[in-house]
Amino acid sequence: MLHFAQIFSYGLLSGALYGLVALGLSLVFGVMNYLVIAHGALIMMAAYMTFWAFFYLKIDPFLFILLVTPAFFVIGWVLFKVLYQSLMKFSEGEKIKNSLLISFGLLLIFPNMAILFWTADERAVATGYTGKVFDVFGVRLPYIGLGGVALAIIVIIALHLFLTRTYFGKAIRAVSQDHEAATLMGINVNRVCLVAFSMGFALAGIPGVITSLHAFNPAISFDLTNKALIVLILAGFGSIKGVLIGGLLLGAIEAAGVYIVGTPYREVFGLILFVLILMFRPQGLAGKKA
Amino acid sequence: MLEVENVDVYYGDVQALWNVSFRVEGEEIVALVGSNGAGKTTVLKTITGLLRPRNGNVRIYGVRSDTIPAHKIVDLGVSLVPEGRRLFRDMMVLENLEIGGYIGRARNVKNENLRWIFEIFPVLENRLRQLAGTLSGGEQQMLAIARGLMSEPKMLLVDELSLGLAPLIVKNIYKILKEINTSRKMTILVVEQNVRLALEIGDRAYILENGRISGEGRGIDLLNSEQVKKAYLAMG
Repeated sequence: MLHFAQIFSYGLLSGALYGLVALGLSLVFGVMNYLVIAHGALIMMAAYMTFWAFFYLKIDPFLFILLVTPAFFVIGWVLFKVLYQSLMKFSEGEKIKNSLLISFGLLLIFPNMAILFWTADERAVATGYTGKVFDVFGVRLPYIGLGGVALAIIVIIALHLFLTRTYFGKAIRAVSQDHEAATLMGINVNRVCLVAFSMGFALAGIPGVITSLHAFNPAISFDLTNKALIVLILAGFGSIKGVLIGGLLLGAIEAAGVYIVGTPYREVFGLILFVLILMFRPQGLAGKKA
Repeated sequence: MLEVENVDVYYGDVQALWNVSFRVEGEEIVALVGSNGAGKTTVLKTITGLLRPRNGNVRIYGVRSDTIPAHKIVDLGVSLVPEGRRLFRDMMVLENLEIGGYIGRARNVKNENLRWIFEIFPVLENRLRQLAGTLSGGEQQMLAIARGLMSEPKMLLVDELSLGLAPLIVKNIYKILKEINTSRKMTILVVEQNVRLALEIGDRAYILENGRISGEGRGIDLLNSEQVKKAYLAMG
């Protein structure tokens, strides 16, 4: 029983991280139908930046969020202008296909850049609190995992409030539903898309920081993108609220798999789930859109 | 005041409007009628900047609107209630209204405008927290008009409001538009497939046929003209 509780709580801790990983991808897809599968690579790059900041400047990873988030906002801004803005005029399906192609290119470029800069070796930021745990009735909860959960909850609530309580946030949602009608209301759709896209990039910074606290290497880009896509399928494409639940669900399912079959098969269960959902509920578990 | 002068509009290589000219003066209700595919919606999309004329020009209260970005046109004082309503279905009624009043000058007077909207459409006040997509057809059309009014326009463009609605509801909504026209001195351009209805409500009207203006006059005169009776009212 204790063994199960331990595995299950680890599952939920990673699940919250999965939610964070998928958040930026979900936002960008929801607003402009761009499927930026390079998201995992962005998170990986953010993890390396965190590693550098800690290694050379002794900046605490959690503090580094305040730097890495705006930095990725700017990177997103530039990449949108250079690579993605020209796709705006295409129809929905063309946008998905073309953004997928561009992002696939980025998903190859970024990890190779990372190998050049940092080699393919495993790295991890080792802080004073790495490996420290809370003991709750014998279940060990690492500080880092709990920090991740707290961040995931804070960020998702903050994003939700931004999207539902501010004029700009509502404009983002309006654009996500109907570009033309939003234009008629006086909303600058290009500007809204630019900002939403950059926000999606900024949202890669936070999971990047948490990733840096565990062992990571350039190749995790693909794993992270994988997780993000599974969470998106679970949550329904473009749903912000669903993302945390989708992440936790994936974490729980992986935990169940680990408990029943064993740790080496952890990754398999997410993918099986992915295939099953695509077969039986292609609109996602919570999604309405086909 | 709206002036459309010698406008040619193309979809790619296909010409949709040919040398279209008409004007809407202050405080009047003008109807633009024509059958399906005549180019009525194209005219409205050109006025609101969603389409650009290849030749000719559009002036809204003296300002050339065909050269400024589409999202700035609502600032000139016109607001379009689009065909098929085009509500933000996954947002609440209140949020739809707020987005309607997105531009700066409208935000400052949001509460006054909301109060006015609830006087015109009391049913919306009870539905504020409901998702727009869950409203009935008539309520959705009311919300679309209300959303258009939230930007404090001097001129309201209404596209095909009768589409998919019961005749009684249509009549009711047109009555409300007439009231807004009188009480608020709102200039209104209605675009309608339902020719009789539009000619009854319009002070003046233009007839659009195959992308060309083929007739104009007082609504009542057109209603009695042979051309209209034959082509649109199945009479004579």
